[in-house]
Amino acid sequence: MKATLILCAALLVGCATQNAAPPGVQVPAERLQQTVLAGQTTKAQLLAAFGPTKNVRFDSGFEAWVYQSPAGDGRFAEFVVLIDPAGIVAKTRTRAPAPAP
Amino acid sequence: MSGLFMAATANLPAHAAGQSTVTVKSTRDPVDKSYRKMIRGMERFERERAFAPNATLRFQLLPRLPNVDMRGITLRVAGDTVSVPVPVDEHNFFVLPRNGQALQEDAAVLASRKTASMTWRARIETPGVPAGMRRLGDLRLECRVGKEAGLVSNSSPLFGWISDALDSPEGVCTSPDGNYLFFAERPIFAVTLRAGERVETLPFSMLYAGGDQTPDMLPFCDCQVLLDRTYYVPLWDASWPDDTLVEFTYMVDAPAGVTP
Repeated sequence: MKATLILCAALLVGCATQNAAPPGVQVPAERLQQTVLAGQTTKAQLLAAFGPTKNVRFDSGFEAWVYQSPAGDGRFAEFVVLIDPAGIVAKTRTRAPAPAP
Repeated sequence: MSGLFMAATANLPAHAAGQSTVTVKSTRDPVDKSYRKMIRGMERFERERAFAPNATLRFQLLPRLPNVDMRGITLRVAGDTVSVPVPVDEHNFFVLPRNGQALQEDAAVLASRKTASMTWRARIETPGVPAGMRRLGDLRLECRVGKEAGLVSNSSPLFGWISDALDSPEGVCTSPDGNYLFFAERPIFAVTLRAGERVETLPFSMLYAGGDQTPDMLPFCDCQVLLDRTYYVPLWDASWPDDTLVEFTYMVDAPAGVTP
């Protein structure tokens, strides 16, 4: 019984990891670089420009939002935005896409 | 249910219940840390020093619930007859003493806070690691020691036994699906691995407990109030050597002249 349920749990994990694209709205890198400026861009402007995306909200009032920029061959660069408690972009960073297999 | 029954009958005089008197010297919260398990974690540290040959081992108490006061915590090893105070420093680090009597009595490690209000971690540090960075081999060993010592204070009544079944140190510390959470000193914005010329920033999915914790799920995670300090590292990935440095970019930069 226990083994069966563990197998079921493992299968569920397998199903949950089948997504090809990483989570987050897909936006071209150039558009993100041009639109999102630390110290200026607001959360409302981000929503208006790109719609809601994957995000994490913290007790401190900060939020981290993540976007994916297609980089060819099914790869994605990751663009992460830190929004401060006042709703202003505090920092951004780009994570280069993983090397093609 | 049986606990309720015991509580209800505990107030009856023994003769009234027609039973002999039993003296209970202490009661243990089942979630309190087992001294034997923590000693097993220390023994694992000694056995697997190859990950961090020059490192030292301490343990740390961390907040698990909002509003828990983390100042002035006292700690003791408590058995049926033995009670050993354990000094805790101002950052809530401590070194667990060895005590044969406590081992024999299957003692518990008790802190002066409600058990569910804190979580625990091993802290293994190799001398000479640049300030504000961690060393991957130290973290690999922290995972093994932490799991062996039973330090993680997640609480999922529904899936507890499933996670236990998949929760051996080997399963958690050597698998890409391993879920051993580390906590940085301050809220993080990025975590970068550096090994010689190779430099890689961890994906968003390795920060903030995967970024998938909903308000409903958070109370079950021991990252509940530390979510913005939480990260995974690729413990399982042998292409990153033990001497790999783990560097943090924080949400708020440290003031000039202050060590990050």
